Amino acid sequence: MKNVLGVIGLLVVVCLLTALASEHFMTGRNIENLMRRTALFGLLGLGAAFVIVTGGIDLSIGSIVCLVGCLTPYLVVECGWAPGLTVAFVLGVAALLGVVHGLLITRLRLQPFLVTLCGLLIYRGIARGITGDQSQGFRSGFSDLRFWGNGRLEVGVFDFAVPAPAVVLAVVAILAAIALSHTVFGRYLRAIGRNEQAARYAGIATDRCVVAAYTVCALLAGLGGLLFVFDVGSAQPADFGNVYELYAIAAAVLGGCSLRGGEVSVLGVVVGAAVMQVLRNAITLVPWIPDAIEYAVIGGVILAGVAIDEVVKRAVAQRRLRNSV
Amino acid sequence: MLNARGIGRRFPGVMALDGVDLDVRAGEVLGIVGENGAGKSTLMKVLAGVEQPDDGELIVDGLHVSLTSTADAHRLGIVLIHQELALADTLTIAESIFLGRETTRFGFTQARDEHRAARRWLELVGLDVKPTRRIDSLTLAQRQLVEIARALSTEARVLIMDEPTACLSPTESSRLFDVVRSLRAAGVAVVLISHRLGEVEALADRVVVLRDGRRVGELVGEDVRAAQMVPLMVGRDLAAHATDHERALGPALLNVRSVTQDDLASETSMTIRAGEIVALSGLVGSGRTELLETLFGLRARSAGTVHVGDRAVRSGSPRAAIAAGMAFVSEDRKATGLLLEETLTTNIGLARLALRREGDGLLAAGIFPSRPNERALAHASIGELAIRPTDASRTTATLSGGNQQKVVLARWLAIGPRVLLLDEPTRGVDVGAKAEIYALLRQLARDGLAILFASSDLEEVLALADRVLVMHDGALRGELPVDEASEESILQYATGQTPT
Amino acid sequence: MPTRSVLAILLCFVAFASSACTRHEASDTPTYAFVSNGIDPYWVIAQAGVEKAGRDLGVDVVVHMPASGINDQKRILEDLLTRQVAGIAVSPIDPANQVEQLDDIAARIPLLTTDSDARESQRLCFVGVDNYVAGRMAGELVREALPDGGAIAVFVGRLEQDNAARRRAGLIDELLGREPDPTRHDPADATLEGNGFRIVGTLTDQFDMAKAKANVEDMISRHPDLDGAVGLFAYNAPMILEAVRQAGRIGDIAIVGFDERDETLAGVSDGSIHGTVVQNPFMYGYRSIELLHQIDSGDRSGIPADGFERIPARAIRKAEVDAFWAEKKELLGT
Repeated sequence: MKNVLGVIGLLVVVCLLTALASEHFMTGRNIENLMRRTALFGLLGLGAAFVIVTGGIDLSIGSIVCLVGCLTPYLVVECGWAPGLTVAFVLGVAALLGVVHGLLITRLRLQPFLVTLCGLLIYRGIARGITGDQSQGFRSGFSDLRFWGNGRLEVGVFDFAVPAPAVVLAVVAILAAIALSHTVFGRYLRAIGRNEQAARYAGIATDRCVVAAYTVCALLAGLGGLLFVFDVGSAQPADFGNVYELYAIAAAVLGGCSLRGGEVSVLGVVVGAAVMQVLRNAITLVPWIPDAIEYAVIGGVILAGVAIDEVVKRAVAQRRLRNSV
Repeated sequence: MLNARGIGRRFPGVMALDGVDLDVRAGEVLGIVGENGAGKSTLMKVLAGVEQPDDGELIVDGLHVSLTSTADAHRLGIVLIHQELALADTLTIAESIFLGRETTRFGFTQARDEHRAARRWLELVGLDVKPTRRIDSLTLAQRQLVEIARALSTEARVLIMDEPTACLSPTESSRLFDVVRSLRAAGVAVVLISHRLGEVEALADRVVVLRDGRRVGELVGEDVRAAQMVPLMVGRDLAAHATDHERALGPALLNVRSVTQDDLASETSMTIRAGEIVALSGLVGSGRTELLETLFGLRARSAGTVHVGDRAVRSGSPRAAIAAGMAFVSEDRKATGLLLEETLTTNIGLARLALRREGDGLLAAGIFPSRPNERALAHASIGELAIRPTDASRTTATLSGGNQQKVVLARWLAIGPRVLLLDEPTRGVDVGAKAEIYALLRQLARDGLAILFASSDLEEVLALADRVLVMHDGALRGELPVDEASEESILQYATGQTPT
Repeated sequence: MPTRSVLAILLCFVAFASSACTRHEASDTPTYAFVSNGIDPYWVIAQAGVEKAGRDLGVDVVVHMPASGINDQKRILEDLLTRQVAGIAVSPIDPANQVEQLDDIAARIPLLTTDSDARESQRLCFVGVDNYVAGRMAGELVREALPDGGAIAVFVGRLEQDNAARRRAGLIDELLGREPDPTRHDPADATLEGNGFRIVGTLTDQFDMAKAKANVEDMISRHPDLDGAVGLFAYNAPMILEAVRQAGRIGDIAIVGFDERDETLAGVSDGSIHGTVVQNPFMYGYRSIELLHQIDSGDRSGIPADGFERIPARAIRKAEVDAFWAEKKELLGT
């Protein structure tokens, strides 16, 4: 919990400043937009967290988003597949890619960075190949299907409605929190992140757990890709989901996951994803921040936030030490 | 030449050092002994500039100094050789020796000059290998000598050695001692920290005993004897080395038939009976660890069978070995044993939790771990093995080596094993905890476990075992009942000579 | 103590933010937004037009360039609605699939498309060039350079964009002498022949500069007899020029480009590029803001009947290049 306080503080500060600088920030519609974006990126971040907790990394998230994002409208619109079948198929493909990552990493002992970096290249290439580099969209149809990406659940207050992806994220986050913190599987993943050899020596089927972690990650990337394309309505194979793996990893690390493995916080990951979305929102809403420095602002604020968090933590630890003896 | 006055160092909740005085003199070997947690390592870190004292002062050559980094200490000629060797695996010997002090010309490293200089230092420590070899191609003993060569090359006047023989074989250790003696003769001050009191007895001119962060005694000359040190160290008399071989042996529990494996030289067979403690002796690199790991399924065997009682153990699966009732306390607690950043509860329950797949539901209800049961198990283990401190929610890294080892043992006892394999069971463990671990192993044998342990410490082998198996070059070469075993006879087998 | 410094930093932020906020949001002048389809020097020229119009008309303007594709553009449009700008001009990345969002915007505030149209949407009008006509213009330039015909390769960022497809159709129709048909779509990898010209292929690079250059190099290797190369997007001509120069085929392969990159203009000036068809992004920006302000003020007379505010393209050859360059520099104020 104490790892999460820092990032929650950062979110509060960023929200506060943006609200002060733009009267439009605290409007129902804007909060709704932010919730939807946070939900979409949060799904990717949670997937990344499963892999990061084992001490691994997945760089293929953005390309899986692209593959699923392009395949879904392609299959439904161009090939005329039934929507339900398509959803099941693309999620199955995503999960299968995760299994393959896991097997390559555990059986062939290849480095996760390498395996998933190749995934990054391969899946985008496949997406572009299958679609012939053509933009794939729903052409304003399939609104029932797209509900899960762009739907709104009216609550009858102001201009606000709960975006459907937020509901999906809530469900996934609760399941992930239970899985990571309260199940044997989660315990094993953390044990592997702390010391994979020790976990193996203790009789844990470490390989199976690692494969499962990559599978969950790829599946959530696939789910994210699905909801992204439902939200936007179309996907361009060349840049859809480009660098989203970095947003996912950043959300996870910002939310208290250690890249060395063993530490994870579901709440932290979701808040981490929210911080980045609020920052981008602020850049568009606040008139005096030029668009061009977007990345610099995101990077700078995150770095400052993490640095301040670390300084405060050390100060607290120092004080505790002084008081204890 | 180096004096410490009233050194104090606090850690959260504990005084690691409390007003310790120490004088280090040129041309003398000073032994520092004490149980783990007594403050030896902390004191050495303070002397070497790794940590800064909260109280007290350091005086070098009559001048007050403040060491804020190891670089400061190096400038004054004080060098610490760590318990865990701090060499980068992929560098060559020469690169390691001159790391941070590279010979350069126009910004380029001068490999040839370094090799020439390195050869001289290697000669001095009696290590006959090419300076171009990579560190990871060396044995632990050789790496130790490289560390010493590195220290000497900085013109160290005070050499602090933390557990230098922890992973050396007897021959390697005795060579190291020769090097230490020649350094002493050359006027170097050597500070030696060791749990092996026999070594301290043999080498040290003077011994300072620490307990609970305080200096509790100093022994000089004739008084430097293990028997004098132990009571000071533990603050009570110990029947640590009382042997006990009077145990009733039951039926054969561990049956190994014609096992072969890529890293073992020949077929291995053995039988260990319930209630029996068998030692696996041999020099470092003789294949003891490989054999134990093969039995436990960490290495796949290419042929042969392993049975625990009537139950055959599948090859290449630690999980199958555990399910059959086998437990394995590995040599390296940090690398393959503990989750150091996790709590005692998590560590103690880990193997039992993994038994869930065998239908064992003690620590898990379905897919959810049962926290109350885990805590109960941890509390019971902590009480039973006298693990200190007793707080089960503590991070394991904060425990002393001996207590960490007990946590590993607790993990394995929690599965109710029938066969217990241990690799160097008391490595980096202080005398007090060592005695407790010996007593525990004997009790377990009385309870009907079959115990097989590998150890480089011949004292330990002779104190604990009913029977000694000796390995050499990846094969079992000899078998001795303990009353026929002596250091000499074991060494003969271990060095490949057939005793007459 | 660190807590105190954190507080101090926070207070500074707040003070800065609130002062900035009172300065800007207090004014009653309307704000109009211009959203591009990506980041490109081309859009910087448009931005100059937008800002010039803002000054001339005394209104506030903002320009946004989405850095990472359609998700980003969607987000920016959402946030502009939240900010309650008075009107938006946008170059949609995927017009066919963005109708919903565009209609949603059009229902609230005046919406124009620029540079690339979304015909099915409720946008008030499109400000841009007739890309089919511009394509034919490029075709004429090729014919000037190669009166006897030859093998031609076409390079473009993306073919799914309406402007790219129409330019290509115009170019090919002009070269092959076919019946004019702005909506014709030839497969990208098909070889088309007629009128002495042979189109050996159309390669896309998805805005990846390195890929754009590699495409040219690969075509030169695959078709040693290549006579001409046409780049349909602004950056294509400079990339073609680089590749052709490295292959030592300057003068041997005729180059025709689009738009007014400095490298392109320099190439035209020294004769290594035969000519370039320039749109007028400055006018897209200027005219978009002008129209938006007019509509926002209640005057809809400026909207053309066919919903197409044509800003004509021009062909720039060696003879015209110096004057054009001077004009561009003046517009950008450099």
